[in-house]
Amino acid sequence: MNSTVVTYLSQSKELTNAISWLTKALGFDASSLVAFVIFLVACLIVVGVMSTIGGLGTYAERKISADLQMRIGPNRVGPYGILQFLADGVKMILKEDIIPSGADRFTFMLAPFLCLVGVFATLAVIPFSSGFILADLNVGIFYLVGMASLVGVGVFLGGYASNSKWSMLGGMRGASQIISYEIPATITIISIVLLAGGLSMGTLIGGQGGMPQEWYLFHNPFAFVGFFVFFIAALAETNRAPFDLPEAESELVSGYHTEYSGMRFGLFALAEYIEVFVVCGVATALFLGGYKVPFDLGTGAILVEKLGMDEMLAKNIGQLLEMGAFFTKTFALYYVVIWVRWTLPRLRVDQLMTLCWKYLTPIAIFNLLGCAVWMYAFDGKSIYSLIFETAATVAGHH
Amino acid sequence: MSTFNLDVYMPVVILIALAMLVAGGSLLLGGLIRPHNPNKLKETAYECGEEPIGSAWANFNVRFYVIALVFIIFDVESALMFPVAAVFKKFTQIGLGGTLLVSVFSFVLILVAGLVYCWKKGDLDWIKSFHSQANYAKKDK
Amino acid sequence: MFTNTLFLLSAALTLGGAIAVVYSQNLMHACIYLLASFFGVAGLYACIGADFLAATQLVVYAGGVVILMLFAIMLTGGTGNNINRYGLEKIAAMGNKKTYFFAGITAILASLIVLKIIANVLKDQSTTAVITANAPTVERIGTLLATDHILAFEISSVMLLGALIGAAVISRPRKERHD
Repeated sequence: MNSTVVTYLSQSKELTNAISWLTKALGFDASSLVAFVIFLVACLIVVGVMSTIGGLGTYAERKISADLQMRIGPNRVGPYGILQFLADGVKMILKEDIIPSGADRFTFMLAPFLCLVGVFATLAVIPFSSGFILADLNVGIFYLVGMASLVGVGVFLGGYASNSKWSMLGGMRGASQIISYEIPATITIISIVLLAGGLSMGTLIGGQGGMPQEWYLFHNPFAFVGFFVFFIAALAETNRAPFDLPEAESELVSGYHTEYSGMRFGLFALAEYIEVFVVCGVATALFLGGYKVPFDLGTGAILVEKLGMDEMLAKNIGQLLEMGAFFTKTFALYYVVIWVRWTLPRLRVDQLMTLCWKYLTPIAIFNLLGCAVWMYAFDGKSIYSLIFETAATVAGHH
Repeated sequence: MSTFNLDVYMPVVILIALAMLVAGGSLLLGGLIRPHNPNKLKETAYECGEEPIGSAWANFNVRFYVIALVFIIFDVESALMFPVAAVFKKFTQIGLGGTLLVSVFSFVLILVAGLVYCWKKGDLDWIKSFHSQANYAKKDK
Repeated sequence: MFTNTLFLLSAALTLGGAIAVVYSQNLMHACIYLLASFFGVAGLYACIGADFLAATQLVVYAGGVVILMLFAIMLTGGTGNNINRYGLEKIAAMGNKKTYFFAGITAILASLIVLKIIANVLKDQSTTAVITANAPTVERIGTLLATDHILAFEISSVMLLGALIGAAVISRPRKERHD
């Protein structure tokens, strides 16, 4: 069912005591009010952390690209240049805001808002840990797909509103790229939903375990190929190289955000980097076991057994371990995304479309049918458990 | 607590509000401290240093529209597939997996037939090749 | 209390967006207000517990149909030509008095018909309906699609196939006759 941060925290005695005290003091049922306050604080934390990760993503990109190109990268602002993103942010706020004459002002101002709203709304279902999901909606992954497509509308409106040919072309190509690559990504997600038996993030991660052989990545060969299909489609959806034709520096000047200056451009960039993190987080949740820690450490049950700790404290430590696991896996994928950008050359726009409709979509559909057949034939067991069971029965016969 | 609990949608609304706040707030903050010296040259659209020629809203190719159409068909298909995929596991566990497998296969294969049709007729090509146009010309004779 | 807030927000977004669509004179802006209206409808679905339907509304309408409409507006040049091919000036069918007049009459007629139908339904209900707990709808919809409504499920795929082929045929470039 729907569980949230509040559901997790309600397990603690302190919160239930506080709620009952407030109810007596205020006269009406205070659980909704307390839930609102907790949600507000949690959302502020998540937005703050995500914006920092988005900013540090620009820094990481510059440092990693410098590493790949045998140079140093930013190293002046702060220790090892780590405050570079703050300096960039301040610079962007101080730039003059130029709206081209003849541009559609309303749409021009709306486009970065739409991109940012689309990306922030997806943060509600990112599973940081089993307790700290802001809202584990029953239709979690489906809702995420819906909100991510809002970014496509934002890109198109940004390109259209600028009244510049570069932007128009970049916006149309960007929007058609984003919508095209949604199809293989969504079909791959359906094949994982098939294996897991539900749409909520908790169900999708609950079907996996901590050890690599229990991940859906190694569940069956169709899911293995599906991971790469999803990863490529997600790279294209976030306009990352080698699919960054809408914002190609050498071809369209800057594509759909040519005419955007200062903070408006900063909002587009922030939305893009946070979206890359979200997409890596979704790939982790679907294929790499999400927040599951090996040896079942995430539930805190071992700590209660061995060290006799208070149950809530053990659970909190387990949650921290789970968050660590999630962030490690997501940042590993983030590194791969940045690595791919500075390694591969850009795809032409017709190659891009051919790749999507003539390669990825048929492969994704084949994976979907393959996963369905696997579920039916082997009763949903992974390759590892099948091998284990045959080995056990063979050993048992001896 | 009421049984009809919508509190789970609170983070969604709060996050959307926060997004608008962050965007609006940073732009407002910038508005207070940034310069504002518009002149005609700064506000013309960038066209590699030349004067912009013609309106940008003139050129459009039908290939974008075809892609959007194919996308919406497959989007609706995936939206219909999601609930069926969610109950597939339960159905295999109670033994009805075979029938559901057949229905999923037929659903997907009918749409694959549509994709193959569009592929063969050249609707998915970004650049209409001379080959397909020559075929059209040949059929007219 | 949050139920009320969510409902008021969604209803305001739906109605406000719809009124803005009718009132605006620019076709692109009307599309954007339509996007806001779709968001409001998704919120209304969420209010009555139809969470899967709300997500479908977001995915298909807000994410797909709006982009399709924007592309269609660009294709047909809806932002430019005021003179049709006979040289007569085209009057925009948005935001002028004739539109409001006819739309108002149609709305009054439609609401009278709907009220007549609903009144018959409401007369039979003697007890107020009990709002059940927020049951997960995805599994129920999936089970129904797989068992009771399996024919509808398959026929919908055939209908989608028809739509795909029809759209592809219509948007194909016209063959040029070489004589």
